[in-house]
Amino acid sequence: MKFLGDIMKLHKLGLALITGLALASTSALTQVSAQTKDALSIDLPNEPGNLDPHGQYDTDSYGVYRNIFDNLVTRDVSGKIIPKVATSWTYASDTVLDFTLRSDIKFHDGTPLTAEDVAFSITRIINPAFKSPQLANFNSITKAEVTGPGKVRVTTASPYPVLLAQLVNMSIVPKAYVEKVGDVQFNLQPIGSGPYKFSSWQKGARVVLEANDTYWEGKPPFKTVTFNNVPNTATRIADLKTGRADIIRFLTADDAVQIKADPALKLLTAETERIGYLFVNALATPTKDVRVRKAIAMGIDRNLIISALLGGYGKQVDIIGAPSIFGYTPDVKGYPFDPAGARELLKQAGAVGAELTFLTSPAYDQRIVQAIQQMLNDIGLKVTISSSDQRTFLQKRQGNPEEAGSLAYGVWSCACQDEDGIILPLFKTGTIWSKYSNPEFDKAVTAARETLKEDERLKNYAKAHAFIKEDVPGVGLYQFVALYASRKELQWTPTANEAFFINQMKWQN
Amino acid sequence: MTRFLINRAITALISILGVMVIVFVIMRLSGDPTLLLAPQGASAQDIERLRHELGFDQPIAMQFFQYMWMVLHFDYGTSFVQRIPVLTIIGSRLPYTLWLALTALAFAITIGLLIGIASAARRGGWIERLLLPLILVGQSLPTFWSGILLIMLFSVHLGWLPSSGADQASSVILPALALGALSMATFARIARTAVIDELSKDYVRAIRAKGIGETRVILTHVLRNASIPVITIAAIEIANLLAGSAIVETVFAWPGLGQLAVQTITGRDFLVAQALVLIAAITYIVLNFIADLLYSLVDPRICLGARGR
Repeated sequence: MKFLGDIMKLHKLGLALITGLALASTSALTQVSAQTKDALSIDLPNEPGNLDPHGQYDTDSYGVYRNIFDNLVTRDVSGKIIPKVATSWTYASDTVLDFTLRSDIKFHDGTPLTAEDVAFSITRIINPAFKSPQLANFNSITKAEVTGPGKVRVTTASPYPVLLAQLVNMSIVPKAYVEKVGDVQFNLQPIGSGPYKFSSWQKGARVVLEANDTYWEGKPPFKTVTFNNVPNTATRIADLKTGRADIIRFLTADDAVQIKADPALKLLTAETERIGYLFVNALATPTKDVRVRKAIAMGIDRNLIISALLGGYGKQVDIIGAPSIFGYTPDVKGYPFDPAGARELLKQAGAVGAELTFLTSPAYDQRIVQAIQQMLNDIGLKVTISSSDQRTFLQKRQGNPEEAGSLAYGVWSCACQDEDGIILPLFKTGTIWSKYSNPEFDKAVTAARETLKEDERLKNYAKAHAFIKEDVPGVGLYQFVALYASRKELQWTPTANEAFFINQMKWQN
Repeated sequence: MTRFLINRAITALISILGVMVIVFVIMRLSGDPTLLLAPQGASAQDIERLRHELGFDQPIAMQFFQYMWMVLHFDYGTSFVQRIPVLTIIGSRLPYTLWLALTALAFAITIGLLIGIASAARRGGWIERLLLPLILVGQSLPTFWSGILLIMLFSVHLGWLPSSGADQASSVILPALALGALSMATFARIARTAVIDELSKDYVRAIRAKGIGETRVILTHVLRNASIPVITIAAIEIANLLAGSAIVETVFAWPGLGQLAVQTITGRDFLVAQALVLIAAITYIVLNFIADLLYSLVDPRICLGARGR
């Protein structure tokens, strides 16, 4: 019995210890919520890949670093390209664009932002030796040079109408500092000219930014901003409920129900430039027959996918595009859901019971993949899902038409809000994604890329969308709606390009 | 003893080299990260150029020798994704994993041993009937689920502990509970079996006959002899805890190596993943070695390196 008594004593000690710790942490928690008025805490699903804006540009990286830096140009809430560091721009010729810059911007170390820094930033990202993953977005630029105080000239190899849309993602870095400390140190201790100064980065845990009180657009709304790396969605929601986070990113429709049930929280949504689409192989496999491809387009109930699987957080599209994307046309309509007509077409094509491979990877919503499989089986096809890891999936999908399967589901964004970054890489003959060849389509998207005249471009994209409808190398399914959740008191309107500008957020009084 | 140390060092080197070759080849056979790094609209030329700049267009054997040459110079390279030296990344994360794993281990050993010994000392008592099955349930629960339940209860409903992160001393409690629960039942069962085994031995009957109290019998005499299997298990369990931390760290947003491993393997950040595997292999080998040394310390009858008896 004495032995048991010893254990009981230990047990009491342990209980006292746990209670003590719990009390200590409760007081710590109240401290945190007392400071929230001038601090903002954000839960991201991933750690930023890096803080050098010319490196990785995944959503979580630029969600952080775009607050530290200023971009050459930016988009307003409606999506229009407006001045930022550049106050104005004129085309000297179809391939030469002249920028005039603001003269009152200072980097966080006090040095002024000059034309040298802008030219350096562009030259840095297009230098192949720098190995920027973003290079493909900017490699139409051949040269960036200073032409006078506050003047920069950007030259492209050929007329490139998407240049400004790409430069929305071009952050200006301080030349002198980068050259002094080197690329690695710059990534660890970035200095920019944006509304927030870099404060600390605890690897894997969080990045802390501090307000740049002398910011040229005015004093930022929060004194400190913390970006926490919280990979698990349920944990992010718990953080929001306990007040550890004020706003969280990346939720599913199921999570949205939970957020809506809590009166202290609110759900924020934005129709993004991401388009959910179905790829259909037009060069090989049974889908080589255009009637089979048309039957597939007719056999998919896009509304059901949106209402049943996306909880209504998605918007049906008729083309692979949306009104917020340049090159959108309201004139091309999608195929209406018509399973009987689809069955009839398959019979005509002699393709009833044809075996199709549906390539996918865990990176894509498997519920949507399975729903499409079921819908297509219902019209008389035999669809097999072939799932592999993302890298292998990409290799097959981008490889020979014979090995690319018949179908694949994807969600596409070029982060440039222009069809030049969407239907051209997806369908032009010879690109890695394209399993389709139509010289007329190629002509239209090439013409749209080689002129700066907007109406001519729009006309060509309307033509291109009509070809896609006729030939069905792909089917637009829905416009992706990004879901965010925040504390009720936070005010913010998320935008189509999924930018995460803290300067646009504030506490409601 | 010297012969033992030399043998052990050679085996360790061979094991580490083997692990490196396997990891290096498997990661490369399943593809390089260029496709994941390139933007969606990149052309075949763009991708080829990026692959060349990253050095993935060279033969695997060539890449391997280059890598081994770097490692021999204590250079583990720079992460492709983060653009930061691998050692800096790992160095900033290692303390967190150690903090979590050691807390979880202390927790598992303390509670596990107490329950194991108590249930052996009083067979058929309430500890054996109630607590032993309870911690077995704890071991069976998947941590991605039990972790969320712990957060829901202690953070969201009771508001006692922080829901994620590692910024307060109390942050470690929930993840250590979730992680420690994985090993607790193992320690309890091993301790129970070992103590029961020892209790039936002659020397115990002899001490009891001398009139020594049961608590002292167990604590001073039996425990020492029963601790050998516990030490072995502890070495294996630390390795298990390091593996289990991948999930626990992800659920609790704990900035340790486990979460880093998940992050780098899905992103195919080769150099970081290779360094992590190297560290894991070395840890495992070193722990086993320490366990071997501890045996002879606890029980002088175990003589290391002696040939035959």
